[in-house]
Amino acid sequence: MDRIRDRDGFKGTSLAAPLACLGREAFCVAMTESLIRVENLHYIYSGASPVEALGGIDLTIRAGEYVAIVGANGSGKSTLARHLNALLLPTRGDVWIACANTRDEKRRRDIRATVQMVFQHPDSQLVAAVVEEDVAFGPENFGVPENELPPRVRAALDQVGMWACRQRTPHLLSAGQKQRVAIAGAMAVQPRVLVLDEATAMLDPAGRAVVLDVLRALHHQGTTIITITHEMEEAVEAERVIVLSEGRVAMDDTPRRVFTRADELCALDLDVPPVAALARRLGLPVCLTTEELCAALTARGPRVGAPSRINKVRVSEPQESIIRVEQLTHSYLRGLPLETRALDRVDFNVPSGAAMGLIGSTGSGKSTLMQHLNGLLRPQSGRVVVGQYDLTNPATDVRAVRRMVGLVFQQPEDQLFEQYVGDDVAFGPRQFGFAKEEVRERVRWAMESVGLGFDAFKNRLTNTLSGGERRRAALAGVFAVRPQVLVADEPTAGLDPRTRAEVLGILQRLHAEGTTPVITSHRMDDIAALCCRITALDGGRVVAAGTRREIFSQPDLLQAHGLDIPPVARIAQELRAQGWPIPSGVLFADELVAALGAE
Amino acid sequence: MEDFELLRHVTIGQYFPTGSPLHRLDPRVKIIGVVALVGTLVTLQSASGVLIGLVITFALIALARVDVQFALGGLAPALPILVFLAVLQLVFGWSARVTNCHSLWSFWLLNVTTCSIQAVVVLLARFAALFLLTGLLTFTSTLSELARGIEWLLRPFQRVGVPADELAMVFTIALRFVPTLALEMEKLLKAQAARGANIQSGSNPVARTRQLLPVLVPLFINTLRRSDDLTAALEARGYTGGAGRTYYIRLHFQRADVVALLVVAALILGLFALPFGMFDQSVLNMLATK
Repeated sequence: MDRIRDRDGFKGTSLAAPLACLGREAFCVAMTESLIRVENLHYIYSGASPVEALGGIDLTIRAGEYVAIVGANGSGKSTLARHLNALLLPTRGDVWIACANTRDEKRRRDIRATVQMVFQHPDSQLVAAVVEEDVAFGPENFGVPENELPPRVRAALDQVGMWACRQRTPHLLSAGQKQRVAIAGAMAVQPRVLVLDEATAMLDPAGRAVVLDVLRALHHQGTTIITITHEMEEAVEAERVIVLSEGRVAMDDTPRRVFTRADELCALDLDVPPVAALARRLGLPVCLTTEELCAALTARGPRVGAPSRINKVRVSEPQESIIRVEQLTHSYLRGLPLETRALDRVDFNVPSGAAMGLIGSTGSGKSTLMQHLNGLLRPQSGRVVVGQYDLTNPATDVRAVRRMVGLVFQQPEDQLFEQYVGDDVAFGPRQFGFAKEEVRERVRWAMESVGLGFDAFKNRLTNTLSGGERRRAALAGVFAVRPQVLVADEPTAGLDPRTRAEVLGILQRLHAEGTTPVITSHRMDDIAALCCRITALDGGRVVAAGTRREIFSQPDLLQAHGLDIPPVARIAQELRAQGWPIPSGVLFADELVAALGAE
Repeated sequence: MEDFELLRHVTIGQYFPTGSPLHRLDPRVKIIGVVALVGTLVTLQSASGVLIGLVITFALIALARVDVQFALGGLAPALPILVFLAVLQLVFGWSARVTNCHSLWSFWLLNVTTCSIQAVVVLLARFAALFLLTGLLTFTSTLSELARGIEWLLRPFQRVGVPADELAMVFTIALRFVPTLALEMEKLLKAQAARGANIQSGSNPVARTRQLLPVLVPLFINTLRRSDDLTAALEARGYTGGAGRTYYIRLHFQRADVVALLVVAALILGLFALPFGMFDQSVLNMLATK
């Protein structure tokens, strides 16, 4: 009805009449230039101890913008995102979407059709048991005519490159594939705004790159993109970066201007992208891409560098292996219709004391290999020998192996068993039957080594810890057994920059104290910083193995297997290609700065 | 040795896109057919009748081109209880004084009669057939097809307050998350074992149950959080129940569906009409005279 009346209004002569033909709301949007308007937004999580998550946010987002929201854990990013499609309603203040107030119950359906969300965990947002049916779920709910559903599903799945998988079951897809299905499900609604809440946090480099490509394409088609992320390199993709801190907007500007304020970001527990950090160390103006960095360097002076000062530490050929894996093959659901081969004749050696990195895209077999290292999985064929124990022999004492090899699973914070932190950390030592005093000593040592004070934290309830504290408590639980080998699957995934740096520091210290770490990560800079030897897996086979400098000097090989090289190595490679005298094998900022003779 | 592969034992809710004639049937027909067969098998009292029902079920599984061994694999966890029940039924079930029952073997309170043999056969065959028939539904139809069928079949009851669409949704989500929860449980068991918990599959049931307790707490917490996330996702994706909803899956009632319904009807008639009871009697009498 409104629309018809507006159209009649077009016949009038008022100044606003030409706009009025767009309908009341489009008119409103055109007049205020904003698709999303957040006014003095306060939100308090009620409960025994109310927490103010948002403390007065004012924002305007125009149609077609690409916005990144960054902030440390607990800064209110997700809470803000959930206000944008009325999943949460303001305690005080207002949120307007295309001029409709989110408090207006009658408009809620329109608001949700306008703003679609993609969440961090793909597992809990896919509803149907078949991909194409899941993509259709949103449009079905919004009452899209039935003959329009198949073309929409097709278009959305084509856009994310998942049409071929339309008949598959979501729980058998990789994390990256699931996330693409989730994005397709949101896109099939044809929303004007797409909000992504840390949607890339759990993805491997290839999966992340595909999602970023999809976002770029959607942005070009005019969709408004709002992405929440811990990855500053992703924030650079946006036109505008909003930094949240303690429920308030701390910065709101272009990426270039935001990343110029590196010290302020650091104080907010955030960091700048690796390129920007490097430019800063070289005394250059802020650079957001490798090309800019190259241009800035060229503009400063001739292409000369200091004589190579990379001390190629001789990786002495280690004498003995603490873990030996030979020709290991493993299939899940063996003998059943859904049998899948996870490992195919894998050889893997862990020299005593050498930090090992395992890289590979999702589904490459990393986790399966790791579970063989402490006997959770037994060799179906091939051999696994840990210290003096041969796991091929069914009579081997697996608990002795597990005492020697500690294993930290992905997102270990979801696996705390006990009510109190101290008890949970003590779980391992108690299971292995240490005396009471010894257990206490070990728990104290483990908690201190992850930075959770023994006296301050031992009687804290595990469910009152923050995300970062829970992660550290879970690490302490494995450290407390004092294993000779520490196997950790994605120990830094999903953490904010500050917590991530802390966890890396903890692992480095443990290595220095004599534990042998075996680490997986989708972040190549983490692997480069922690591990001196690297094995790359793809499709259950070893595709490369060697020292970190050998592995990361083969970018083409790694990219062919859905992997990547660390950002600094990428910059070094680019500079070298442009004629800068950078020696090959540069992995760290210090080395690159030295090679450029800047310090 | 430990076995953590829980998904191996989850057969319920799995879908096998083999493209068999059963896959192509209208889900409503499959639901009606299975419900009717289940009803028949529950009412049939004779051992030979229920056995024939089981044979029909096997034939249907073969027609769906699903591996029978895999389909039966899901029964394995229930086997100890089944055997226990069967033994109880066999030795305590019937006294010889009941008409038509002949005692075959007796000792103190224990008494095996022809009737108890018949009852045990009915118990086991009926259980296996019911299990396979319900499995057949999910092996040959996607959850959304089933949900759509359920929703359609319940629609007449909407007037008396049955929330057809919501029930269909509850059904979909419950089955959709069975494998997800199995994987979650597996992860927690492994995490405990990695930290030194002694999880052996061979040890006694009480000890095994006690080992599960600490796993249940985080499983419960994680499931609650997962359901929070799911609720948010459902809301964000515009789910508000049945009103104003359209459907991607369209139901087509075709000639093959008519045929399928007729075949099921004929089978059920046959099961009720043929004199299986008399056949049972003569077999049991023969057993007794031997």
